[in-house]
Amino acid sequence: MEQILAQFPQQVINGLTLGSVYALLALGYSMVYGILRMLNFAHGDVFMVGSLIGWGVLQLFIKEGPAMARSGLVLVSMVCGAVIVTSALGGAIERFAYRPIQKGSRLTTLISALGASIILENVAMLLTQGRAKAYQTELIISSDWTISALGATVSATRLIIICVSIMLMLVMDYAVTHTMLGKAMRATSQDREAAEYMGIRTQQVISAAFIIGSGLAGIAGVMIGLYYTQVDFMIGFSAGMKAFTAAVLGGIGNIRGAMAGGLVLGLAESLGVLFLAPVYKDVIVFSVLIAVLILKPQGILGKPVDEKV
Amino acid sequence: MKRRFRLRFGELNPVKFVSVVALILCIETGFAYGKELPPVKIGAAGPFTGDLSKIGLDALNAIQMAVEEANAEGGINGRKIEVAIGDDMGDPSKGVLVAEKFAMDKNVLGVVGPMNSATASAALPAYDRAGLVIISQSATNPDLSERGYRVMHRICPRDDAQGPAAARFIAEEIKAKNVYIIDDKGTYGQGLADQVAAALNQIGVKVTRGQITLEDRDFSPILTRVKATQPDLVYLGLSNPAQAAGLMKQAVGLGLSTKFMGGDCMKERDQLVAGAGGAAEGMYITAIGRDIAEVPAAREFIKKFEGKYGAMSVFSGQSYEATKILIEALRTAAGDNPAGLTRAKVLDAVDNIRDYKGIMGFPISFDGKGDVVGASIYVYQVENGDFREVKEYPAEVR
Repeated sequence: MEQILAQFPQQVINGLTLGSVYALLALGYSMVYGILRMLNFAHGDVFMVGSLIGWGVLQLFIKEGPAMARSGLVLVSMVCGAVIVTSALGGAIERFAYRPIQKGSRLTTLISALGASIILENVAMLLTQGRAKAYQTELIISSDWTISALGATVSATRLIIICVSIMLMLVMDYAVTHTMLGKAMRATSQDREAAEYMGIRTQQVISAAFIIGSGLAGIAGVMIGLYYTQVDFMIGFSAGMKAFTAAVLGGIGNIRGAMAGGLVLGLAESLGVLFLAPVYKDVIVFSVLIAVLILKPQGILGKPVDEKV
Repeated sequence: MKRRFRLRFGELNPVKFVSVVALILCIETGFAYGKELPPVKIGAAGPFTGDLSKIGLDALNAIQMAVEEANAEGGINGRKIEVAIGDDMGDPSKGVLVAEKFAMDKNVLGVVGPMNSATASAALPAYDRAGLVIISQSATNPDLSERGYRVMHRICPRDDAQGPAAARFIAEEIKAKNVYIIDDKGTYGQGLADQVAAALNQIGVKVTRGQITLEDRDFSPILTRVKATQPDLVYLGLSNPAQAAGLMKQAVGLGLSTKFMGGDCMKERDQLVAGAGGAAEGMYITAIGRDIAEVPAAREFIKKFEGKYGAMSVFSGQSYEATKILIEALRTAAGDNPAGLTRAKVLDAVDNIRDYKGIMGFPISFDGKGDVVGASIYVYQVENGDFREVKEYPAEVR
């Protein structure tokens, strides 16, 4: 019991770090689902590509000289590089894998999504020769920069992840509720046809949702690389599953729900480990999902589905 | 469409058809009985793609190098040798498929691998049914040679020799009182962790255990637990050195400063030492063979390998040695009659290998179970990004 109490603060920090990354990923899932009613299973792999691009940029800086002195610049370049590539990738996936079959059944787009995911994974495997790539986090964020409080060690990496994620979530929330693009997105998600009659270019809105969601995944990829200190071509799969779970947990299609779902999931995963062996952390995650689906099928913040007449 | 099909079918008269088929068959068999014998195939089974592909591919390179050298010397008495590649991705179910593929190809007369204990364990019955001899360079789980399969051979000592040696080092040299053991639930990882834990318990060192999975990338949950028990040493029963590197780096991020120790497959410069940044510095590793860089007989091999494929990885030397032993057995079994080679003869010849002197630094023979005789367990420490030998124990199973 004493040991459990001693671990509690640390596991809360672990959970918040992981949860905020899940939340960023879940945003992308939820946005696309909200608008297109389709599950973008390639989202996790876009995240993986982002983390690998971040790694590549980091290598360029390290080759050039000591990166520590310019760690701010290095971090910003890593994020920018990842965001540019993943946004373009997200846009391309939408254009080539989904748009041509948008009018088909939902199953068709789902299969196309799985196909896109397999292609991305295998291309990444070929390019990395299947090897894990080490993020030299310690060269840009010193491992000495930590705060210890209540028995928990909060490294600078964790602080950055939590702060950046929360900031991005606030920006996204504001954008969806207060800007024209956000309005257009909400309109398209409510009724695409009607939105088109009102003069909204829904195709552009859909592209925007993919591009923004993939950009967020790119940022999440760099952050997870810094946190795990190692990435490989398979990280997209489990991260994608967790993000999907988070999106469903919060009420899929609901932006705030996705954020809440991600945080709840991360905390459940970390705090569950206090009582059960760490090998069961995925069991805990999916048990939480099942429990929520039984008790509140529409998710934590989801609205009950109205039957259309 | 239908009409055209019918028309064509009508043109092909059955007598013509049968005679064409018969002719093709004659030509085929004619080739087989021609003066050129089909090449002898050596199966290479290991994880050539996937998480462990780095280790696997460097092993495959060494196998291919040994075969090329043998072919340059005239193969098996004039008969060429070929490598048949069986990629099992370190996955037991694929390991069985690889074994069955080799079993069906009658030119495959011996196999180097499987590399992982789990794949070897799953594939052994299939190899045994086919009477196909295997020489594993790196499968260390004790059970493999205890199950009574005659085809099983390995040139690496077993985990029940490695585990107690590691425990002795922990108790006598590091003088740790409280050890936390993490394993990855795999046949190799958990098996080795069990051996270390049992030996430590016997000596009276306090052991706490925890597990992760092969897919884990986030080690904060387990490391937070480790931190709460404040161990003197953390032992890693993991099969993926990259995972160990990630774990040690994340431990630094959590403010956990403790010594680490791991098993034979950790001895990887690229994935472990470079992958962990500075976090692997001071880590102890038990190895199932001497660093062949210190064996004079291995110098030529290392020079050639590194010139061709870049830095060696942990099992390159052992893979080369296992292949050479298999080729030696093939030559003995063939004698003057390379056409009369059979799997049974090759199996006998491998059983009868005595004091083979290669690049491992000790003469290799097999005991009745197929385990290697005369090997040692070495303890290395990571120092300035390299491995330094600190202790040698004879590999004995108690």
